[in-house]
Amino acid sequence: MFTVTYLRRELRHRKKQAVFTALGLAVAIGTVVSVSAASSGAAKAQTSVLKGLYGVGTDISVTVPWSKDTAGPGQKLAPADAAQHLDFLDSPSMGLLDAAKIPSIAAQKGVASAAGALILQDTKMDLPPQPKPGEQGPPMTPPKQAAVSGVDTSRTSPGPLATATVSAGRALSAADADADVAEVSRNYAAANSLQLGGTVTVGGHAFSIVGLVDVPQNGNPRDVYIPLSRAQALSKFTGKVNTVYIGATSAADVDTAAAAIRTLLPGATVTTASSLSKAVTGSLADTAKLADNLGRWLSIAVLAVAFAMASLLTISSVSRRVREFGTLKALGWRTRRVTLQIMAESVVTGAIGAALGIGLGFAGAAVITAVAPALKAAVAASPGSAPVQGMSIQGGPGGGAPVTHSFDAPDSVQSVVVHLAASVSPGAVALAVGLALAGALIAGLSGGWRAARMRPAEALARVE
Amino acid sequence: MYRLTAVTKDYQTNGKRVSALTDVSLTIDDGEWLAVKGPTGQGKSTLLQLLGGLSRPTSGSILVSGEDLSRMPDTRITRLRAETIGFVFQFFNLLPTLTAQENVEAALVPLGIRSSERRRRAAEALDSVGLSDRATHLPSELSGGQQQRVAIARALVKEPRVLLADEPTGNLDEDTAAEIIDLLEQRWRSRGLTVVLVTHDNAIARRAQRVAVMRRGRLTIAPSQTSALPDVFERAGFGEAGLKAPETPPAPR
Repeated sequence: MFTVTYLRRELRHRKKQAVFTALGLAVAIGTVVSVSAASSGAAKAQTSVLKGLYGVGTDISVTVPWSKDTAGPGQKLAPADAAQHLDFLDSPSMGLLDAAKIPSIAAQKGVASAAGALILQDTKMDLPPQPKPGEQGPPMTPPKQAAVSGVDTSRTSPGPLATATVSAGRALSAADADADVAEVSRNYAAANSLQLGGTVTVGGHAFSIVGLVDVPQNGNPRDVYIPLSRAQALSKFTGKVNTVYIGATSAADVDTAAAAIRTLLPGATVTTASSLSKAVTGSLADTAKLADNLGRWLSIAVLAVAFAMASLLTISSVSRRVREFGTLKALGWRTRRVTLQIMAESVVTGAIGAALGIGLGFAGAAVITAVAPALKAAVAASPGSAPVQGMSIQGGPGGGAPVTHSFDAPDSVQSVVVHLAASVSPGAVALAVGLALAGALIAGLSGGWRAARMRPAEALARVE
Repeated sequence: MYRLTAVTKDYQTNGKRVSALTDVSLTIDDGEWLAVKGPTGQGKSTLLQLLGGLSRPTSGSILVSGEDLSRMPDTRITRLRAETIGFVFQFFNLLPTLTAQENVEAALVPLGIRSSERRRRAAEALDSVGLSDRATHLPSELSGGQQQRVAIARALVKEPRVLLADEPTGNLDEDTAAEIIDLLEQRWRSRGLTVVLVTHDNAIARRAQRVAVMRRGRLTIAPSQTSALPDVFERAGFGEAGLKAPETPPAPR
């Protein structure tokens, strides 16, 4: 075919320019593919974090924002003349929800299963005696805190123990619903010298340790798991839960189910993976934002430069070939055919650029995966809750100026370390090919437009 | 073949209007060889471009076989160039990346001829100008005379009715120029072509049936087979030998 022969010869003749243009496009396409791979890797890492935070089988969680109306009775700390030891359970960051509503939630369209839990904080502290007027009271020692979950023992998934592995002893079962038994995180047990068969004190009450569990770091691990009814009793949150874990009938039904639950519980926070992803912070979120924002603009800028460069080079090439195109027109070649010839040369250059760009993109993704540092994702431990930043304890009347003690609530924010694995998706490859061809077409059209405007006589009149 | 009536061609240069052709009227018969002579910049090439449909007149009409070129749509003019008119240029204008054979084939591409037929006809055309052994050579590998032969093969391969040659020997040495003119004359005789040849070489102009002289955009036609040149021809550089008609008139197509 004459067009192909002509095209091949022209590209070979203008090898340097063709290679330069193809490389320019390749760098742009490689950047787009790499950024896309990094973005996709960050998204996958976020998905993995979110999956862990939810637990296997949990698609939606329902919580109620903390407020005076939704909070429990709380603990009244009244300084006394004698020193006091306090051990209490509280829900400092989440409001309470009637457990009786769980069946209604389970009945919503798109909901496969629902389980309630109490995500609590066990605080052990020594309150010093109230100082006498004019005296300086003794310093207060910081409280010891543990993350406690009251779990539905009749099922493990969905729920806080969905990703747990029992490493010693046994798991809680339906028969343990009202028993003073607990599963303890192996890390917490080791840190506090707790053993299987021993006891752990929660809310001032001793629980027999029947199992040691491992919960993956990204599985939102708690320190102690006790039956829900016992947690309700000890926290005085009878008939209440503060988190409902929900499994959807299918991934496609998540949004439908979430919408139905929002209608059922207007004041509740209904969190899905997509909504939770917006609440993820830390270097992973920063990376995702970087890939999405800076990466996107970088890609656009590099593409614009590459397209402009390809267009200018093509126009410049057409300008150098005016006599050639004038001759073709004198031979009876239609303007359309001349334009198509220029565009074909451009498209082939673009295709070479796309192939090189995809290769560069894969290489870029491999480099990102190899050099990317471990990324940290932070998200509210109980989705939908406001992380607790501190707690204040005020001195009693006559106790002098109020004293405020602040500390971070250790389990209010869940941190997960993940590794970013940039992966090139077929969609990114298709996008790269599309962009390269688009760039080539823009360049070809620019050159073709330039050639189409030439009158053959003017073209032939020019002496190179 | 051609009938030009009061043809004018103006250009705008730096905001000024420059007349390249002024009120040119001319008839060129089928199978005629007309030489257009005159100093550089007097409108010879402009006349050739108008005859080839490469540009349009500012005013006047150019009839080609009864059709007015000045009113013809671009597509029809393009078709006319593809089928009817062959060009030969001073600088050969071969496509530098294509071989001699492919350069000749390029003239057949707009006619939609199949590639095998194209190759056969291009090979024949190259053979007819004595370059069959250079078919695979690039223009840069050929001498000036060989390049012009390729250009002639390209102009004639589609068997046009008109051959427009713009200083075809202007870039060649004397011997090679004579060879090229011999070749053109031979083709003119054997095919009954209408040839319009622009030159400022007296010897070459003398080979034509008629000579026209361009001066300041105006055309003067020399009488056929005359032995006495009017003043304008003397001033244009023709010698006393005057104009000589070919011994054998071309066979009609």
